[in-house]
Amino acid sequence: MKIKAKIKDNVTEVKLLLSNPMVGKEEAALKKIDVSYITHVTAKVGGKIVWEASTGPFLSKDPYFMFNFKGAKAGDEIVVDTIDDKGKTETDKEVIK
Amino acid sequence: MKRRKFLSLGAVAAAASVLPASLSATDFVATAPKAWEAASSKEAIEALFGSAAMIDGQIEIKAPKLAENGGAVPIGIKSKLELTTIALFQDANPRSAVVVFEMAENGIVDLQTKIKMRKTANVTIVAKGKDGKLYSAVQKVEVSIGGCGG
Repeated sequence: MKIKAKIKDNVTEVKLLLSNPMVGKEEAALKKIDVSYITHVTAKVGGKIVWEASTGPFLSKDPYFMFNFKGAKAGDEIVVDTIDDKGKTETDKEVIK
Repeated sequence: MKRRKFLSLGAVAAAASVLPASLSATDFVATAPKAWEAASSKEAIEALFGSAAMIDGQIEIKAPKLAENGGAVPIGIKSKLELTTIALFQDANPRSAVVVFEMAENGIVDLQTKIKMRKTANVTIVAKGKDGKLYSAVQKVEVSIGGCGG
C-alpha cells in the first residue's frame, strides 16, 4: 500500500494506492483464478476515523483513492487499515506533510 | 450510531448481529449483502438506500466521456453538500455496487477512485446527506476497450 498525505489550507488531501487484484467471482470463474478483493478500508488520524470505504471487486485492480478532510495538522500520522474477502488485514501509516 | 440507523433497516437482523459492538466502522459488505449481489443499479440502490425520492443536480460526477481503458476508469465525486454516505454504482459489470464511502465529521466531498467497466454504461452516485435526504447523479461513460470485470 502507498499513502501520500499533504495538508494545504487546513485541508488534508490523501492519495491511497492499495495492492490487490480485486477479482470477483465472475472474473475468477472466467480466468480460473482465485477470488480476492478488499472489502473495507479505514483511514484514521489520532485514532479517529477520517474516511472509510466498503469496497467490491469492480474497483480497478490495485484500487486508487483520493479523499480530503479537515482538522489534521502537519506531522500528524494517518493510519490506513484494509481487510479482504478472506479476513486478511493490512495496515500502513504515513506522516501528513 | 444514529445516522447509520438507516443501514440496519434493509439488512436482516442476523447480518447486523454479526458485527461486534465495538466496531466503529460500518462495513457495508457485511451489513447489506443484498446490495452487493444486485445486477442492476436500481436494485442495488434500493437495497442500500430504499426507494425514497432523490434530489438531482447537487453532486458532480467527474468521469471521462470516453474511457480508453475499461480496466481503470477514473471517477471523481464532488459536492458542496454535507454528505454522510456516498455510494457508486454502474451497469457495466455483472453486479452494480462498486464502493460505498463513509464521510467523517470533517470530511470534504471531493473523492476520486478508479473502477472497472467492461462496456459503455451509466455510472450512478447516490448519497445520503446530513439532512437525511437522498441525492443522486448519473453520468454515461463510453468505454472503448472493456475492463476485465468478467
